[in-house]
Amino acid sequence: MNFDLSYFIELIPLLLRYLGITMQMALLGLVFALLLAVVMAVVRVFRVPLLDWLVQLYISFFRGTPLLVQLFLLYYGLPQMFPPLVGIDAFTAAVIGLSLHFSAYMAESIRAAIIGIDRSQMEAALSIGQSPLMAMRRIILPQAARIALPSLMNQFVDMIKSTSLAFTLGVAELMARAQMEASSSFKFFESFLAVALIYWVVVVLFTRLQLRLETKLNRAYQR
Amino acid sequence: MLKMMRKAVLALGIALAAQGALAAEVVKVGMSGQYFPFTFVKKDVLQGFEVDIWNEIGKRNDYQVEFVTSNFSGLFGLLESGRIDTISNQITITDERKAKYLFSNPYVVDGAQVVTRKGSDIKGIEDLAGKTVAVNLGSNYEQLLRAYDKDNKINIKTYDTGIEQELMLGRIDAFVMDRVSSMALIKEHNLPFVHAGAAFETIENAWPLLNNEKGKRLQTEINKALAAMKADGALKAISEKWFDGDITSH
Repeated sequence: MNFDLSYFIELIPLLLRYLGITMQMALLGLVFALLLAVVMAVVRVFRVPLLDWLVQLYISFFRGTPLLVQLFLLYYGLPQMFPPLVGIDAFTAAVIGLSLHFSAYMAESIRAAIIGIDRSQMEAALSIGQSPLMAMRRIILPQAARIALPSLMNQFVDMIKSTSLAFTLGVAELMARAQMEASSSFKFFESFLAVALIYWVVVVLFTRLQLRLETKLNRAYQR
Repeated sequence: MLKMMRKAVLALGIALAAQGALAAEVVKVGMSGQYFPFTFVKKDVLQGFEVDIWNEIGKRNDYQVEFVTSNFSGLFGLLESGRIDTISNQITITDERKAKYLFSNPYVVDGAQVVTRKGSDIKGIEDLAGKTVAVNLGSNYEQLLRAYDKDNKINIKTYDTGIEQELMLGRIDAFVMDRVSSMALIKEHNLPFVHAGAAFETIENAWPLLNNEKGKRLQTEINKALAAMKADGALKAISEKWFDGDITSH
């Protein structure tokens, strides 16, 4: 075994320069995915006619096909049908793809959390004259957020790691740089270990953030 | 109406003149950044044979060359959707590709080569029956091998990346790559690989372009620059910088 420690150590700061683009994709993806997911979860809980059916179809498709296939469809496939879509750059396409894909999972997590809130909460809100949507926004969703948080974090962590697929669209992100450095140095172990550690540390940091958020959201429930 | 049209024509004229005087034309060149020593990244710098040639073409034709890196399997999609103007990644001219794309004149003349580990019993393409042989996804070596392997005796595996590593680890018995780059690879990294037999097919590599107005114009311009670089030795010099010899002609 000859692990090239100095190569490994030199590589980490080089790779860290591309962590920014990876995190930009993941965080933008998170924002859009959450927005979409909340809307879809509410549509499903209220069983809004037609929309409910469309959301089910959407979730079925985006959970039922691989993210890589969706990215290829979006970036290479659609512009063949609709030429103006060529204008979408690789970064934007990756963010759109990640948002669409993970919103499908997140919608189900949020829906599960909403269903988990006792019916009496909604009934009480309605009895004092709140509209169903207002009750959802002010009474149900804040409680559901606490329940949904762990599984939403699961999906966000998955999203961070899935940004590594963006290189097939030509986004020079973290994994892309590791692959390119490895293919010229032939130090595969060092390169991929370095990139694995970077992802891992990022995910650990977000897990700590999650713990703090959970403590905050749990405050009302502690005696 | 006439006045408006005159104004429009004038504005267009000014815009065109400004464009001509101002910026050099942007030409986007796609490459994998993972094909040593043609296109690779070392210490965060994209470099290699392809990069040098394009910088030279850019200088001669007054292009502003922009390099776009993507996994090899994404490159033709980028070209097809018009996001890049050409691919510079040792793209071999084949009939299928010629039917779809315009090609520049070839800038590399090479052969398809079987590469195996030292001490292997594979001595050439005829010994590949029953062996596992790797090729790069999207490359034309798979078709070349299948054309040779009429009774399907070779177990051909395609990889997106990392076939050298797979041979090193012994997961495959051989891979097919072009003679020139495999030679450079073995030498540069002192890999325990050898060439099994002679190259089994001559291949010519060139730059594919979209078959449209811009593609046609670029084809003419690039061919002109390439001919000039051949004539004054610039192309040969770049070749000798990265390889032992001149890989740009027969």
